[in-house]
Amino acid sequence: MSSPRTIRFTLNGEPVSATIMPHETLVDVLQHRFDLRGARESCGQGLCGCCTVHVDGKPVSGCLFLAVFADGARVDTVEGLARGDALDPVQEAFIEAGAFQCGFCTPGFVMMVKQLLKEHPEPTDEEVRHYLTGNLCRCSAYPEILDAVKLASARQAEAARRA
Amino acid sequence: MKPAPIAYVRPDTVERAVGLLSESGGEAKVLAGGQSLVPMLNLRIAAFERLVDVTGLPGLRSASDEGSEVRLGACVTHERIQTGDVPDPSNGLMPSTASRIAYQAVRNRGTIGGSLALADPAADWLATMAALGAAIEWVGPDGPGSCPAEAFVEAAYTTRLGLYDVLTGIRIPRLHPDARWGTYKLCRKTGEFAHAMAIAIRQPGGCRAFLGATEGAPIRLPAVEDMLAGLRGWDASDAARLGEAMAADVAAAGRSLSDVHAWQSRTCLARAVAMSFGAAPPRLGRAA
Ligand SMILES: Cc1cc2nc3c(=O)[nH]c(=O)nc-3n(C[C@H](O)[C@H](O)[C@H](O)COP(=O)(O)OP(=O)(O)OC[C@H]3O[C@@H](n4cnc5c(N)ncnc54)[C@H](O)[C@@H]3O)c2cc1C
Ligand code: FES
Ligand code: FES
Repeated sequence: MSSPRTIRFTLNGEPVSATIMPHETLVDVLQHRFDLRGARESCGQGLCGCCTVHVDGKPVSGCLFLAVFADGARVDTVEGLARGDALDPVQEAFIEAGAFQCGFCTPGFVMMVKQLLKEHPEPTDEEVRHYLTGNLCRCSAYPEILDAVKLASARQAEAARRA
Repeated sequence: MKPAPIAYVRPDTVERAVGLLSESGGEAKVLAGGQSLVPMLNLRIAAFERLVDVTGLPGLRSASDEGSEVRLGACVTHERIQTGDVPDPSNGLMPSTASRIAYQAVRNRGTIGGSLALADPAADWLATMAALGAAIEWVGPDGPGSCPAEAFVEAAYTTRLGLYDVLTGIRIPRLHPDARWGTYKLCRKTGEFAHAMAIAIRQPGGCRAFLGATEGAPIRLPAVEDMLAGLRGWDASDAARLGEAMAADVAAAGRSLSDVHAWQSRTCLARAVAMSFGAAPPRLGRAA
Protein backbone atom coordinates (compact mmCIF):
# COMPACT_ATOMS: atom_id res chain seq x y z
CA MET A 1 0.00 0.00 0.00
CA SER A 2 1.18 3.43 -0.88
CA SER A 3 0.95 5.66 2.15
CA PRO A 4 1.96 9.25 2.87
CA ARG A 5 5.16 9.93 4.73
CA THR A 6 6.67 12.99 6.27
CA ILE A 7 10.05 14.14 5.07
CA ARG A 8 12.21 16.81 6.69
CA PHE A 9 14.88 18.67 4.79
CA THR A 10 16.65 22.01 4.52
CA LEU A 11 15.19 24.13 1.75
CA ASN A 12 17.23 27.18 0.73
CA GLY A 13 18.69 27.26 4.21
CA GLU A 14 15.43 26.84 6.15
CA PRO A 15 14.39 23.61 7.88
CA VAL A 16 11.09 22.42 6.38
CA SER A 17 8.91 19.34 6.35
CA ALA A 18 6.28 18.01 3.98
CA THR A 19 3.90 15.11 3.89
CA ILE A 20 4.30 13.46 0.54
CA MET A 21 3.41 10.30 -1.34
CA PRO A 22 6.32 8.04 -2.35
CA HIS A 23 5.59 8.46 -6.05
CA GLU A 24 5.90 12.25 -5.95
CA THR A 25 8.97 13.79 -7.50
CA LEU A 26 10.95 16.62 -5.93
CA VAL A 27 10.02 19.08 -8.67
CA ASP A 28 6.31 18.47 -8.00
CA VAL A 29 6.73 18.86 -4.27
CA LEU A 30 8.68 22.12 -4.68
CA GLN A 31 6.08 23.50 -7.07
CA HIS A 32 2.94 22.46 -5.26
CA ARG A 33 3.87 22.34 -1.56
CA PHE A 34 6.37 25.16 -1.43
CA ASP A 35 5.16 27.31 -4.30
CA LEU A 36 8.67 27.39 -5.75
CA ARG A 37 8.10 27.61 -9.51
CA GLY A 38 11.67 28.05 -10.72
CA ALA A 39 12.43 24.39 -11.28
CA ARG A 40 9.78 23.17 -13.68
CA GLU A 41 9.04 19.90 -15.34
CA SER A 42 9.17 19.71 -19.09
CA CYS A 43 10.32 16.31 -20.37
CA GLY A 44 10.09 14.26 -17.18
CA GLN A 45 12.86 12.09 -18.64
CA GLY A 46 16.13 13.66 -17.55
CA LEU A 47 16.72 15.09 -21.01
CA CYS A 48 16.27 18.84 -20.68
CA GLY A 49 17.49 20.16 -17.32
CA CYS A 50 14.55 22.54 -16.71
CA CYS A 51 13.94 20.87 -13.35
CA THR A 52 17.52 21.15 -12.04
CA VAL A 53 17.95 21.79 -8.32
CA HIS A 54 20.85 21.07 -5.98
CA VAL A 55 20.66 18.27 -3.44
CA ASP A 56 23.49 18.22 -0.92
CA GLY A 57 25.38 20.60 -3.17
CA LYS A 58 25.05 18.68 -6.43
CA PRO A 59 22.67 19.30 -9.33
CA VAL A 60 19.99 16.68 -9.92
CA SER A 61 17.02 16.49 -12.26
CA GLY A 62 14.05 17.16 -9.99
CA CYS A 63 11.79 15.18 -12.32
CA LEU A 64 13.81 12.00 -11.71
CA PHE A 65 14.38 12.57 -8.02
CA LEU A 66 11.72 11.04 -5.83
CA ALA A 67 10.87 13.42 -3.01
CA VAL A 68 11.41 10.65 -0.42
CA PHE A 69 15.11 10.80 -1.29
CA ALA A 70 15.20 14.40 -0.02
CA ASP A 71 14.54 13.32 3.56
CA GLY A 72 17.41 14.69 5.64
CA ALA A 73 19.05 16.39 2.66
CA ARG A 74 19.89 19.99 1.82
CA VAL A 75 17.91 21.23 -1.17
CA ASP A 76 18.75 24.49 -2.93
CA THR A 77 16.71 26.04 -5.70
CA VAL A 78 17.11 29.08 -7.92
CA GLU A 79 14.85 31.02 -5.54
CA GLY A 80 17.52 30.73 -2.83
CA LEU A 81 20.35 32.29 -4.86
CA ALA A 82 19.63 36.01 -4.47
CA ARG A 83 20.68 37.80 -1.29
CA GLY A 84 17.76 40.17 -0.64
CA ASP A 85 17.58 42.38 -3.72
CA ALA A 86 21.04 41.41 -4.91
CA LEU A 87 20.93 38.74 -7.57
CA ASP A 88 23.55 36.04 -7.70
CA PRO A 89 26.47 36.90 -10.05
CA VAL A 90 25.41 34.06 -12.36
CA GLN A 91 21.88 35.50 -12.58
CA GLU A 92 23.36 38.96 -13.25
CA ALA A 93 25.53 37.55 -16.00
CA PHE A 94 22.55 35.86 -17.68
CA ILE A 95 20.69 39.20 -17.73
CA GLU A 96 23.68 41.18 -18.99
CA ALA A 97 24.51 38.66 -21.70
CA GLY A 98 20.84 38.40 -22.73
CA ALA A 99 21.14 34.66 -22.25
CA PHE A 100 17.44 33.87 -22.63
CA GLN A 101 14.34 34.68 -24.59
CA CYS A 102 11.32 33.05 -22.95
CA GLY A 103 13.26 32.14 -19.81
CA PHE A 104 11.75 28.69 -19.40
CA CYS A 105 15.12 26.96 -19.27
CA THR A 106 16.93 29.67 -17.29
CA PRO A 107 16.54 28.45 -13.69
CA GLY A 108 17.91 25.05 -14.73
CA PHE A 109 20.84 26.59 -16.58
CA VAL A 110 21.64 28.93 -13.69
CA MET A 111 21.71 26.07 -11.19
CA MET A 112 23.90 24.00 -13.47
CA VAL A 113 26.28 26.90 -14.10
CA LYS A 114 26.64 27.45 -10.34
CA GLN A 115 28.04 23.93 -10.06
CA LEU A 116 30.11 24.24 -13.23
CA LEU A 117 31.88 27.31 -11.85
CA LYS A 118 32.46 25.61 -8.53
CA GLU A 119 34.24 22.74 -10.27
CA HIS A 120 35.84 24.70 -13.12
CA PRO A 121 36.18 28.35 -12.01
CA GLU A 122 37.59 29.29 -15.43
CA PRO A 123 36.05 26.76 -17.78
CA THR A 124 37.07 26.28 -21.40
CA ASP A 125 34.34 26.38 -24.06
CA GLU A 126 34.60 22.63 -24.24
CA GLU A 127 34.05 22.24 -20.49
CA VAL A 128 31.05 24.56 -20.61
CA ARG A 129 29.50 22.64 -23.50
CA HIS A 130 30.11 19.29 -21.89
CA TYR A 131 28.76 20.38 -18.54
CA LEU A 132 25.62 21.92 -20.01
CA THR A 133 24.69 19.24 -22.58
CA GLY A 134 21.84 18.08 -20.37
CA ASN A 135 20.22 21.52 -20.43
CA LEU A 136 18.12 22.36 -23.46
CA CYS A 137 17.14 25.87 -24.48
CA ARG A 138 14.21 25.66 -26.87
CA CYS A 139 14.79 29.32 -27.82
CA SER A 140 18.36 28.39 -28.68
CA ALA A 141 20.09 31.13 -26.73
CA TYR A 142 23.22 28.97 -26.55
CA PRO A 143 25.79 31.51 -27.77
CA GLU A 144 24.59 34.04 -25.20
CA ILE A 145 24.54 31.37 -22.50
CA LEU A 146 28.19 30.65 -23.26
CA ASP A 147 28.87 34.41 -22.99
CA ALA A 148 27.03 34.53 -19.66
CA VAL A 149 29.15 31.71 -18.26
CA LYS A 150 32.34 33.49 -19.34
CA LEU A 151 31.11 36.74 -17.82
CA ALA A 152 30.16 35.09 -14.53
CA SER A 153 33.51 33.33 -14.43
CA ALA A 154 35.42 36.58 -15.04
CA ARG A 155 33.42 38.36 -12.34
CA GLN A 156 34.04 35.54 -9.92
CA ALA A 157 37.79 35.67 -10.61
CA GLU A 158 37.76 39.46 -10.21
CA ALA A 159 35.89 39.21 -6.88
CA ALA A 160 38.36 36.57 -5.68
CA ARG A 161 41.29 38.83 -6.59
CA ARG A 162 39.82 41.73 -4.64
CA ALA A 163 38.94 39.61 -1.63
CA MET B 1 4.18 12.79 -16.53
CA LYS B 2 2.98 11.65 -13.13
CA PRO B 3 3.89 8.26 -11.75
CA ALA B 4 1.10 6.13 -10.36
CA PRO B 5 0.95 5.69 -6.57
CA ILE B 6 3.49 3.20 -5.31
CA ALA B 7 4.72 2.03 -1.92
CA TYR B 8 8.30 2.63 -0.82
CA VAL B 9 10.59 0.90 1.65
CA ARG B 10 14.18 1.56 2.57
CA PRO B 11 15.50 -1.58 4.26
CA ASP B 12 18.78 -1.43 6.16
CA THR B 13 20.11 -4.91 5.56
CA VAL B 14 20.59 -6.85 2.34
CA GLU B 15 18.76 -9.84 3.86
CA ARG B 16 15.75 -7.64 4.60
CA ALA B 17 15.81 -6.23 1.06
CA VAL B 18 15.89 -9.74 -0.43
CA GLY B 19 13.11 -10.77 1.98
CA LEU B 20 10.93 -7.84 0.90
CA LEU B 21 11.51 -8.66 -2.77
CA SER B 22 10.68 -12.36 -2.31
CA GLU B 23 7.57 -11.67 -0.23
CA SER B 24 6.21 -9.45 -2.97
CA GLY B 25 6.05 -12.28 -5.50
CA GLY B 26 7.52 -10.03 -8.18
CA GLU B 27 5.44 -6.93 -7.45
CA ALA B 28 8.35 -5.08 -5.84
CA LYS B 29 11.23 -3.50 -7.73
CA VAL B 30 14.69 -2.47 -6.59
CA LEU B 31 15.29 1.28 -6.71
CA ALA B 32 18.82 2.70 -6.79
CA GLY B 33 19.54 6.08 -8.40
CA GLY B 34 16.17 6.10 -10.14
CA GLN B 35 17.67 7.47 -13.37
CA SER B 36 16.20 4.69 -15.48
CA LEU B 37 13.36 3.57 -13.25
CA VAL B 38 11.80 6.99 -12.56
CA PRO B 39 11.59 7.89 -16.28
CA MET B 40 9.70 4.60 -16.73
CA LEU B 41 7.44 5.37 -13.77
CA ASN B 42 6.86 8.89 -15.13
CA LEU B 43 5.75 7.42 -18.45
CA ARG B 44 3.82 4.69 -16.65
CA ILE B 45 5.44 2.06 -18.82
CA ALA B 46 6.46 0.16 -15.70
CA ALA B 47 4.06 -0.66 -12.90
CA PHE B 48 5.00 -2.13 -9.54
CA GLU B 49 3.40 -2.10 -6.15
CA ARG B 50 6.47 -1.23 -4.20
CA LEU B 51 9.94 0.20 -4.53
CA VAL B 52 12.72 -1.29 -2.44
CA ASP B 53 15.35 1.43 -2.08
CA VAL B 54 18.77 -0.23 -1.81
CA THR B 55 20.85 2.94 -1.45
CA GLY B 56 20.83 2.64 2.35
CA LEU B 57 22.17 -0.92 2.46
CA PRO B 58 25.52 -1.24 4.25
CA GLY B 59 28.47 -1.25 1.88
CA LEU B 60 26.55 -0.48 -1.28
CA ARG B 61 27.93 3.03 -1.53
CA SER B 62 31.47 2.22 -0.50
CA ALA B 63 34.54 1.37 -2.51
CA SER B 64 37.69 -0.42 -1.52
CA ASP B 65 41.11 -0.75 -3.03
CA GLU B 66 42.24 -4.32 -2.49
CA GLY B 67 45.54 -4.06 -4.32
CA SER B 68 45.10 -6.37 -7.28
CA GLU B 69 41.47 -5.32 -7.62
CA VAL B 70 39.01 -2.61 -6.69
CA ARG B 71 35.56 -3.39 -5.35
CA LEU B 72 32.81 -0.89 -5.98
CA GLY B 73 29.50 -1.09 -4.15
CA ALA B 74 26.52 -1.29 -6.51
CA CYS B 75 25.29 2.18 -5.54
CA VAL B 76 28.49 4.05 -6.40
CA THR B 77 27.38 6.79 -8.79
CA HIS B 78 28.78 7.50 -12.26
CA GLU B 79 29.88 10.90 -10.92
CA ARG B 80 32.04 9.41 -8.17
CA ILE B 81 33.79 7.28 -10.78
CA GLN B 82 34.14 10.27 -13.12
CA THR B 83 35.73 12.51 -10.52
CA GLY B 84 38.04 9.92 -8.97
CA ASP B 85 36.19 9.91 -5.64
CA VAL B 86 36.54 6.11 -5.74
CA PRO B 87 39.76 4.22 -6.59
CA ASP B 88 40.32 3.62 -10.30
CA PRO B 89 41.77 0.23 -11.29
CA SER B 90 41.59 1.03 -15.00
CA ASN B 91 44.34 3.58 -15.77
CA GLY B 92 41.64 6.17 -16.51
CA LEU B 93 39.29 4.09 -18.67
CA MET B 94 36.48 4.14 -16.10
CA PRO B 95 36.54 7.89 -15.34
CA SER B 96 36.62 8.58 -19.07
CA THR B 97 33.66 6.26 -19.67
CA ALA B 98 31.71 7.74 -16.75
CA SER B 99 32.14 11.27 -18.07
CA ARG B 100 30.42 10.25 -21.30
CA ILE B 101 27.35 8.68 -19.69
CA ALA B 102 24.24 10.84 -19.90
CA TYR B 103 24.45 14.33 -18.40
CA GLN B 104 25.96 15.71 -15.22
CA ALA B 105 22.68 15.75 -13.28
CA VAL B 106 22.01 12.12 -14.28
CA ARG B 107 25.59 11.08 -13.46
CA ASN B 108 25.20 12.63 -10.02
CA ARG B 109 22.46 10.08 -9.23
CA GLY B 110 22.75 7.08 -11.56
CA THR B 111 24.66 4.09 -10.23
CA ILE B 112 26.94 1.51 -11.80
CA GLY B 113 24.91 -1.31 -10.23
CA GLY B 114 21.64 0.08 -11.58
CA SER B 115 23.12 0.37 -15.01
CA LEU B 116 24.35 -3.25 -14.98
CA ALA B 117 21.14 -4.64 -13.44
CA LEU B 118 18.97 -2.93 -16.03
CA ALA B 119 21.20 -4.19 -18.86
CA ASP B 120 20.09 -1.77 -21.53
CA PRO B 121 22.29 -3.19 -24.30
CA ALA B 122 23.58 0.33 -25.05
CA ALA B 123 24.68 0.97 -21.45
CA ASP B 124 28.33 1.96 -21.23
CA TRP B 125 29.20 -0.13 -18.16
CA LEU B 126 28.09 -3.46 -19.62
CA ALA B 127 30.80 -3.55 -22.26
CA THR B 128 33.34 -1.69 -20.12
CA MET B 129 33.03 -4.11 -17.18
CA ALA B 130 33.22 -7.08 -19.55
CA ALA B 131 36.36 -5.64 -21.18
CA LEU B 132 38.01 -5.08 -17.80
CA GLY B 133 37.28 -8.68 -16.79
CA ALA B 134 35.19 -7.58 -13.79
CA ALA B 135 33.03 -9.87 -11.66
CA ILE B 136 29.51 -8.99 -10.61
CA GLU B 137 28.25 -9.96 -7.17
CA TRP B 138 24.75 -10.27 -5.82
CA VAL B 139 22.78 -11.63 -2.89
CA GLY B 140 19.51 -13.48 -3.36
CA PRO B 141 17.18 -15.87 -1.53
CA ASP B 142 19.78 -18.63 -2.01
CA GLY B 143 22.62 -16.51 -0.63
CA PRO B 144 25.43 -14.76 -2.46
CA GLY B 145 26.25 -15.31 -6.12
CA SER B 146 28.66 -13.92 -8.65
CA CYS B 147 29.72 -14.27 -12.26
CA PRO B 148 32.14 -12.67 -14.71
CA ALA B 149 30.70 -9.48 -16.22
CA GLU B 150 31.27 -11.11 -19.60
CA ALA B 151 28.67 -13.79 -18.77
CA PHE B 152 26.26 -11.54 -16.86
CA VAL B 153 23.99 -10.42 -19.68
CA GLU B 154 21.80 -13.07 -21.29
CA ALA B 155 19.88 -10.81 -23.65
CA ALA B 156 18.71 -7.22 -23.83
CA TYR B 157 17.40 -6.25 -20.37
CA THR B 158 17.97 -9.80 -19.15
CA THR B 159 20.78 -10.78 -16.81
CA ARG B 160 21.81 -13.58 -14.50
CA LEU B 161 20.05 -11.72 -11.67
CA GLY B 162 16.88 -13.41 -10.45
CA LEU B 163 13.75 -11.47 -9.61
CA TYR B 164 14.66 -11.30 -5.92
CA ASP B 165 18.40 -10.75 -6.21
CA VAL B 166 20.14 -7.54 -5.20
CA LEU B 167 23.31 -6.66 -7.08
CA THR B 168 25.72 -5.74 -4.31
CA GLY B 169 29.04 -4.93 -5.92
CA ILE B 170 31.53 -5.21 -8.74
CA ARG B 171 35.12 -6.43 -8.47
CA ILE B 172 37.40 -4.97 -11.07
CA PRO B 173 40.91 -6.37 -11.52
CA ARG B 174 43.63 -3.76 -11.79
CA LEU B 175 44.96 -3.20 -15.29
CA HIS B 176 48.67 -3.70 -15.85
CA PRO B 177 50.44 -0.33 -15.36
CA ASP B 178 51.59 -0.53 -19.00
CA ALA B 179 48.10 -1.27 -20.31
CA ARG B 180 46.86 1.07 -23.01
CA TRP B 181 43.18 1.42 -23.75
CA GLY B 182 40.90 3.07 -26.23
CA THR B 183 37.14 3.40 -26.17
CA TYR B 184 34.78 4.94 -28.65
CA LYS B 185 31.07 5.59 -28.28
CA LEU B 186 29.10 6.63 -31.31
CA CYS B 187 26.18 8.92 -30.55
CA ARG B 188 24.73 11.94 -32.28
CA LYS B 189 24.39 14.03 -29.15
CA THR B 190 26.86 14.03 -26.26
CA GLY B 191 25.49 11.96 -23.38
CA GLU B 192 23.05 9.92 -25.40
CA PHE B 193 23.01 6.17 -25.21
CA ALA B 194 25.45 4.73 -27.75
CA HIS B 195 24.45 3.66 -31.25
CA ALA B 196 27.63 1.62 -31.29
CA MET B 197 30.65 1.32 -29.07
CA ALA B 198 33.95 -0.51 -28.86
CA ILE B 199 36.64 -0.95 -26.25
CA ALA B 200 40.20 -2.13 -26.86
CA ILE B 201 42.73 -2.83 -24.13
CA ARG B 202 46.32 -3.73 -24.97
CA GLN B 203 48.36 -5.06 -22.12
CA PRO B 204 51.16 -7.53 -21.48
CA GLY B 205 49.63 -10.93 -20.89
CA GLY B 206 46.47 -10.52 -22.96
CA CYS B 207 44.58 -7.97 -25.00
CA ARG B 208 40.84 -7.46 -24.66
CA ALA B 209 38.38 -6.19 -27.25
CA PHE B 210 34.60 -5.86 -26.97
CA LEU B 211 31.72 -4.37 -28.87
CA GLY B 212 28.95 -2.78 -26.84
CA ALA B 213 25.57 -1.35 -27.85
CA THR B 214 24.69 -4.52 -29.70
CA GLU B 215 21.15 -5.77 -29.44
CA GLY B 216 22.08 -8.11 -26.59
CA ALA B 217 25.15 -8.93 -24.53
CA PRO B 218 28.46 -7.23 -25.33
CA ILE B 219 30.39 -9.22 -27.94
CA ARG B 220 33.94 -10.37 -27.18
CA LEU B 221 36.31 -10.25 -30.15
CA PRO B 222 39.02 -12.94 -29.75
CA ALA B 223 40.42 -12.64 -33.30
CA VAL B 224 40.72 -8.89 -32.82
CA GLU B 225 42.48 -9.53 -29.50
CA ASP B 226 45.01 -11.75 -31.28
CA MET B 227 45.57 -9.09 -33.90
CA LEU B 228 46.06 -6.42 -31.22
CA ALA B 229 48.68 -8.53 -29.49
CA GLY B 230 50.76 -8.47 -32.70
CA LEU B 231 50.31 -4.79 -33.59
CA ARG B 232 53.22 -2.43 -32.95
CA GLY B 233 51.43 0.72 -33.99
CA TRP B 234 48.26 1.80 -35.72
CA ASP B 235 48.07 2.62 -39.37
CA ALA B 236 44.84 3.39 -41.21
CA SER B 237 45.74 0.57 -43.60
CA ASP B 238 45.24 -1.89 -40.72
CA ALA B 239 41.53 -1.04 -40.64
CA ALA B 240 40.53 -3.56 -43.30
CA ARG B 241 42.17 -6.46 -41.46
CA LEU B 242 40.64 -5.27 -38.18
CA GLY B 243 37.19 -5.16 -39.82
CA GLU B 244 37.61 -8.71 -41.12
CA ALA B 245 38.67 -9.97 -37.71
CA MET B 246 35.68 -8.24 -36.13
CA ALA B 247 33.26 -9.74 -38.66
CA ALA B 248 34.69 -13.21 -38.04
CA ASP B 249 34.33 -12.77 -34.27
CA VAL B 250 30.73 -11.58 -34.53
CA ALA B 251 29.85 -14.56 -36.72
CA ALA B 252 31.72 -16.99 -34.44
CA ALA B 253 29.74 -15.64 -31.49
CA GLY B 254 26.58 -16.58 -33.37
CA ARG B 255 25.53 -12.95 -33.54
CA SER B 256 24.69 -10.72 -36.46
CA LEU B 257 24.77 -6.98 -36.97
CA SER B 258 22.84 -5.07 -39.61
CA ASP B 259 25.00 -3.52 -42.33
CA VAL B 260 24.75 -0.07 -40.78
CA HIS B 261 25.43 -1.35 -37.30
CA ALA B 262 28.43 -3.38 -38.53
CA TRP B 263 29.78 -0.27 -40.23
CA GLN B 264 29.32 1.80 -37.06
CA SER B 265 30.88 -0.89 -34.87
CA ARG B 266 33.86 -1.23 -37.21
CA THR B 267 34.40 2.52 -37.09
CA CYS B 268 34.21 2.56 -33.29
CA LEU B 269 36.63 -0.35 -33.07
CA ALA B 270 39.18 1.24 -35.40
CA ARG B 271 38.99 4.49 -33.42
CA ALA B 272 39.29 2.66 -30.09
CA VAL B 273 42.38 0.79 -31.32
CA ALA B 274 43.90 4.00 -32.71
CA MET B 275 43.26 5.65 -29.36
CA SER B 276 45.06 2.83 -27.56
CA PHE B 277 48.07 3.78 -29.70
CA GLY B 278 47.83 7.40 -28.68
CA ALA B 279 45.32 8.95 -31.11
CA ALA B 280 43.57 11.86 -29.40
CA PRO B 281 40.28 10.94 -27.72
CA PRO B 282 37.17 12.63 -29.08
CA ARG B 283 36.56 16.01 -27.49
CA LEU B 284 34.12 15.98 -24.62
CA GLY B 285 31.98 18.93 -25.58
CA ARG B 286 31.08 17.47 -28.97
CA ALA B 287 28.99 14.56 -30.13
CA ALA B 288 31.20 11.84 -31.51
C1 LIG C 1 18.73 11.26 -20.04
C2 LIG C 1 19.45 9.99 -19.71
C3 LIG C 1 20.53 9.59 -20.51
C4 LIG C 1 21.21 8.41 -20.21
N1 LIG C 1 22.27 8.08 -20.98
C5 LIG C 1 22.99 6.98 -20.68
C6 LIG C 1 24.14 6.62 -21.44
O1 LIG C 1 24.55 7.33 -22.34
N2 LIG C 1 24.80 5.48 -21.10
C7 LIG C 1 24.40 4.69 -20.06
O2 LIG C 1 25.04 3.69 -19.80
N3 LIG C 1 23.33 5.02 -19.32
C8 LIG C 1 22.62 6.13 -19.61
N4 LIG C 1 21.52 6.45 -18.83
C9 LIG C 1 21.10 5.53 -17.75
C10 LIG C 1 21.82 5.83 -16.46
O3 LIG C 1 23.15 5.40 -16.56
C11 LIG C 1 21.18 5.16 -15.25
O4 LIG C 1 21.80 5.71 -14.12
C12 LIG C 1 21.33 3.67 -15.11
O5 LIG C 1 20.91 2.98 -16.24
C13 LIG C 1 20.47 3.13 -13.99
O6 LIG C 1 21.05 3.37 -12.76
P1 LIG C 1 20.17 3.84 -11.52
O7 LIG C 1 21.03 3.71 -10.34
O8 LIG C 1 19.61 5.15 -11.79
O9 LIG C 1 19.07 2.69 -11.45
P2 LIG C 1 17.50 2.72 -11.26
O10 LIG C 1 16.86 3.59 -12.25
O11 LIG C 1 17.19 2.97 -9.84
O12 LIG C 1 17.20 1.19 -11.58
C14 LIG C 1 17.35 0.69 -12.89
C15 LIG C 1 16.98 -0.79 -12.93
O13 LIG C 1 17.95 -1.59 -12.28
C16 LIG C 1 17.40 -2.24 -11.16
N5 LIG C 1 18.40 -2.12 -10.08
C17 LIG C 1 19.05 -0.97 -9.71
N6 LIG C 1 19.96 -1.23 -8.77
C18 LIG C 1 19.90 -2.57 -8.52
C19 LIG C 1 20.61 -3.44 -7.64
N7 LIG C 1 21.59 -2.99 -6.84
N8 LIG C 1 20.27 -4.76 -7.65
C20 LIG C 1 19.30 -5.22 -8.47
N9 LIG C 1 18.61 -4.45 -9.33
C21 LIG C 1 18.90 -3.14 -9.35
C22 LIG C 1 16.09 -1.55 -10.86
O14 LIG C 1 15.16 -2.46 -10.31
C23 LIG C 1 15.67 -1.10 -12.25
O15 LIG C 1 15.07 -2.14 -12.95
C24 LIG C 1 20.81 7.62 -19.11
C25 LIG C 1 19.74 8.02 -18.31
C26 LIG C 1 19.05 9.20 -18.59
C27 LIG C 1 17.92 9.61 -17.71
S1 FES D 1 11.94 17.94 -16.85
FE1 FES D 1 13.52 17.04 -15.74
S2 FES D 1 15.06 16.91 -17.21
FE2 FES D 1 13.41 17.61 -18.40
S1 FES E 1 15.10 30.93 -23.22
FE1 FES E 1 13.40 29.89 -23.98
S2 FES E 1 13.94 27.86 -23.59
FE2 FES E 1 15.75 28.87 -23.16
